[in-house]
Amino acid sequence: MAAPVFSEVIGRYVTVEVAGAPYKIFFAERGEGPPLLLQHAGGLHTHQWRHALEDDELTARHRVVAFDLPRHGKSDPSPAREWWKEEYRLTGAFLRELTLAMCDALELDEQTVYVGQGSAGNFALELARSEADRFRGVVAMEAGAHTPGAFVDWWQHPHANAAEVGATACWDQMAPQSPDAERWATWFYYTQGSDAFRGDLYYYAVEHDLRERLGEIDTARCPVVMLTGEYAYVPSPQLSRATAEQIPGAHFVELKGIGHFPMSENYPVFRPYLLDALARIHAEAPAR
Amino acid sequence: MADVAAWADAFRAATDADAELQAHGRHYSCAFQLDMEQRRVHVTMHRGAVEQLAIDPPPLLASCDFGLRASAETWRRMAQPVPEPMYHGIFAANAHHDLRFEGDLLTLMQNLRCFVRHVELLRETGVPV
Repeated sequence: MAAPVFSEVIGRYVTVEVAGAPYKIFFAERGEGPPLLLQHAGGLHTHQWRHALEDDELTARHRVVAFDLPRHGKSDPSPAREWWKEEYRLTGAFLRELTLAMCDALELDEQTVYVGQGSAGNFALELARSEADRFRGVVAMEAGAHTPGAFVDWWQHPHANAAEVGATACWDQMAPQSPDAERWATWFYYTQGSDAFRGDLYYYAVEHDLRERLGEIDTARCPVVMLTGEYAYVPSPQLSRATAEQIPGAHFVELKGIGHFPMSENYPVFRPYLLDALARIHAEAPAR
Repeated sequence: MADVAAWADAFRAATDADAELQAHGRHYSCAFQLDMEQRRVHVTMHRGAVEQLAIDPPPLLASCDFGLRASAETWRRMAQPVPEPMYHGIFAANAHHDLRFEGDLLTLMQNLRCFVRHVELLRETGVPV
């Protein structure tokens, strides 16, 4: 019998308080060095970042951490809330309080680079604006100043299969040449987050609006790199580029041959872009 | 017309032989129209197999649940083996080009997984425009 093969990635739970309620949050981590906090998109979970967590070179340079938002993956809603009586809507205030609480709990210091995608990509821009001194920099993936349109009831319609509808709408966000197995894994993760998808998109498509506030981002204090795949239809590379052009000092890179889920749909193509973005941030970040 | 008939045969064969539709199409039953500007493709699916496929059917025989409408050029670009960005799916082409959804969107959403796969088969067969 072949010897079992264990991953080096360690998964644990930590309980933090957010908005006056306890949340038992699942996180995965591996590696040593300046931290990377990798945040999954709306409707997804930590597994979206599995290739980065298992990247020997990346984890030799960085302590790589990813956690599941409540209602996603292995992070339950708070047991102190009657969440089944609420319409779920993710907000930026909740994301901020949770993210800072997780950074404190896991001792992710000011050398941490925040890497978010989709909803978390939009939130990365908000972190750069409002928490510039708390992070070494941000990588805002698949993000824009304002990304309206996707907060619709098809993601939770009782006459349709919400898991398949949401996941299949996101299928089109991936490049057709990305490997089938990786695209279907991403699709599969989406089916698992179907109950939260619509509520996550409230933040992504409705609440998040930095159109009048991009000038408040100080990249001298918190460098910003924006990455968007050329096959992403929302936000498109053009929208992300237009956002980056309104942030003095921000970088924008279009990811060729890949779509909206670079880290999970085709990690080998994404990896050089990620390493380059991190190098830019570490080169430009102020000494702290 | 011979080429169009051959295309219809090829699309029917590709549909009925597709492993994904066979695996997940047990309840894939609906009628839809692909309006390609120069031709209308009318497909009736029953439990994952083509029940009827008609090109430019007469109006009284063209009843359907939902449809897609786009220019011939958009369909040709969507039907490339590896489509260029924003022609790589119905949502992308809807957001950035002239593809439009028509009819009962609930039926479209109820059949979305199979339908998206079905449209992707055009990358193998091409389009009759």
